[in-house]
Amino acid sequence: MRQLIRTGVLLIGFALALGTPLAAQTSDDFFNPEALQRIELWMHGQDWEKLKAAFEENTYYPADMTWNGITVYNIGIRSRGLGSRSSSKPGLRVDFDRYNNGQQFLGLKSYVLDNLTQDNTGIKETVAMRFFTRIGIRAPRETHARLYVNGVYSGLYGLVESVDKTMMGRVFGSIGDNVQNDGYLFEYNYVIGSPWRFTYEGSDLAPYKTRFDIKTNETHAESVIWGPIEELVRLVNDTSSTLFEQTIGPKLNLAEFVRYIAGQNFIAQNDGFNGYDGMNNFYFYRLENSTSHTFIAWDEDVAFLQPDFGITTRLDENALTRKTLELPSYRSQYFSGLSEAASSASDWMRQEMQRQFDMINEAMLADPKKPYTNAEYMADRERLLAFPDARITYVRCEVAKQTGATLPSGCQ
Amino acid sequence: MKRPLIVAILIAFAAVPAAAQDKKGFVWNDRPSIVFGEDINVAVTGRALVEWRWFDPDVGEDLFALRAGRLGLKGDLTRHLDWEIEREIGAGDAEEEGDSRIEFGDWKDVFVRWRTFDAARVKVGRFKIPFGLEQNTGVSELDFAYRALGSQKIAPGRDTGVMMSGALGRLGYEAGIFDDDGDNAEFSETQFVEEGQDLPNVGPSFAVRISGDLFRALGVSGRLRSANLGVAYTNSDVPEGLNSLRGESFWGTQDFFERVYVKGRRQRFGAQFDWTPGPTSLRAEWMQSREQRKEQSNRNADLSDFIGTAWYVTGTWFVTGEDKDDNVNAKRPLFKGGPGAIELAARYEQLGFGSASNEGDSFTNPRAEHLTPNSDSVFTLGVNWITSKWTRVIVNAIHEDFEDVNRTPVAGTTSFWSGLIRLNIVF
Repeated sequence: MRQLIRTGVLLIGFALALGTPLAAQTSDDFFNPEALQRIELWMHGQDWEKLKAAFEENTYYPADMTWNGITVYNIGIRSRGLGSRSSSKPGLRVDFDRYNNGQQFLGLKSYVLDNLTQDNTGIKETVAMRFFTRIGIRAPRETHARLYVNGVYSGLYGLVESVDKTMMGRVFGSIGDNVQNDGYLFEYNYVIGSPWRFTYEGSDLAPYKTRFDIKTNETHAESVIWGPIEELVRLVNDTSSTLFEQTIGPKLNLAEFVRYIAGQNFIAQNDGFNGYDGMNNFYFYRLENSTSHTFIAWDEDVAFLQPDFGITTRLDENALTRKTLELPSYRSQYFSGLSEAASSASDWMRQEMQRQFDMINEAMLADPKKPYTNAEYMADRERLLAFPDARITYVRCEVAKQTGATLPSGCQ
Repeated sequence: MKRPLIVAILIAFAAVPAAAQDKKGFVWNDRPSIVFGEDINVAVTGRALVEWRWFDPDVGEDLFALRAGRLGLKGDLTRHLDWEIEREIGAGDAEEEGDSRIEFGDWKDVFVRWRTFDAARVKVGRFKIPFGLEQNTGVSELDFAYRALGSQKIAPGRDTGVMMSGALGRLGYEAGIFDDDGDNAEFSETQFVEEGQDLPNVGPSFAVRISGDLFRALGVSGRLRSANLGVAYTNSDVPEGLNSLRGESFWGTQDFFERVYVKGRRQRFGAQFDWTPGPTSLRAEWMQSREQRKEQSNRNADLSDFIGTAWYVTGTWFVTGEDKDDNVNAKRPLFKGGPGAIELAARYEQLGFGSASNEGDSFTNPRAEHLTPNSDSVFTLGVNWITSKWTRVIVNAIHEDFEDVNRTPVAGTTSFWSGLIRLNIVF
């Protein structure tokens, strides 16, 4: 009898264990920043070798994916990235609807597996995006994953939410029953050898079409898609300071823009909107049934350059940044944004970095494909952990100097 | 090598035709020929096709096309042997301004045939594999400017091999072994082969076709007695890779069904019907390809067969009353005060691909067990104006309709109209 009860309990427990992961999984679980995920991809052996050999191409290959006991079949994966492309550890774009328009996974159409090849610490991107969300900048959800391809550990990856209609619906919500995700979404395309700083490039739409890759409503007329961008750039460059806010304000959320560039500066992003080689690494979204645009954060894995990264670095180079910050109210908002970022970081950023390091450490050390040694990882990890405290002090001091406020203690 | 051939051809054209009854020397017998003696002769063959087209919506195709010309030689070598060689030619890129160059393209027919016995003729060389009624019909006898999609995409076309054919009573047969699996089934991917190596496991292919006047054999009376029916089959191996057959839109601008991964055997099954009572004709064909996909799933397991199916029905009518046969002679020739021969034609056809398995959700993934099907249904109306033995004007209006809105020449559009006017010069 006792044996029977024991067997029954075991069977019920087994059934519950099987059932639990399937019951209430959401995309929040998938991108849960506190969980190191395990992603398994199953591909024809030849396809994985071909993808790695042709890592410069965007050719899709079919695969099955398993996460947390759920398998989704016939998805499409391809190599992705710009400078991060790698043959040994390819960054991957994973499309659930590549081969069937209706197929989704936890409500997602796609996501990105960031190969972390440009970040020896492995956490810059994920810390930056969590921080942005914390200070009110729209950013993708992210965590880390151990990737297994055909059962073989293929390295530690960043698990990154795609910036697409699904994400627009998440961050912009609904008005009544209408999900606000039918606007015009653009990925900024960094054109090698042609740095751009929001200067007017003429009335022809071609230059704007080259720099702003349309991701939604692709079939609409070019004048409808890129015309408002040409107009925005023209007005930014041609409008005087006195008319700037009333002219540009309806076409670009200036307060959000200032918060965005302040946030990027705080994390010492040298390759962002005010980047060393012009603008880079962002999405741009024109809201549904609106003329207003806003920025979405993307690709911050070379942030945290150095704690003393100047808080006014290149603010006068970019036309949009310069003209916006010429207005005293927005210049003030910029420095306020930096101060708020420092405050938000002060009781959070170092702990978050440590937590993420603790979470990924074993997987990072075991990663056979990363293009840096474990010693390099450990050294950069220590440098990054020292960043928050030094940066917070530096920014507070520099903001005080810029605004004429009393210098906090510890300033030089 | 090229220059002597061109000179020979020009001489043949320039020669003043000898009277046909002389039977020796240069003779104009429908085409320029040189007769050396009884059953020993050489004739020049050729063709040029000029085409004007329109499209709605635009699919990015040229509105004018000078389709590749062909030149060839054919002849008899004794009463036991005949032969033929034919090659594509076209205008090449000039190296310097003012230069013009003739460029040679693919070899077409290159064969010798032993024909001593009607019951067993043997053909060796490069020629069409005996599969597909329309595919094996010469361009001058086609009812439309272009063959049906199935004839272009499923029927194998030409290859190098040896074939025996003949007539056994009311039955005709053709059976051959070929080096590969035909020009229409070229392999697209060689990634599983080291550079410089031949593709492994391709061919030899085997093909057989049997045809005959079935109704006559069954004792059916009336006009249907002349109807000819046939069945055909091919078998070959396909190398691993994206090497399956594929669905291409009528004008070739878009793969409405891209190649999928295959490995194993490729079979084709065909059936044909050909009936030409008086000035009318009714032709129909059905064909199906089945390709194995061994070890081709995402987890290296076997997948269900990849299947392509095509069929067409064609009807024609000479409104000027000529009999529909291989050599149409206008009752009232154009250059003798008549209208020439005028024929109306209509064809409905379909080519589609999918998987043997229909279970679960379907995917366009080239390794999916259940492939999302897609097909192209084409309706063609035509007028053929036969102005002489060598020239013909063809007018076709073509309507295409695709099953899958996401896999068409213009995404989001399933219905396409196009048209053409073509001048055929064939001798």
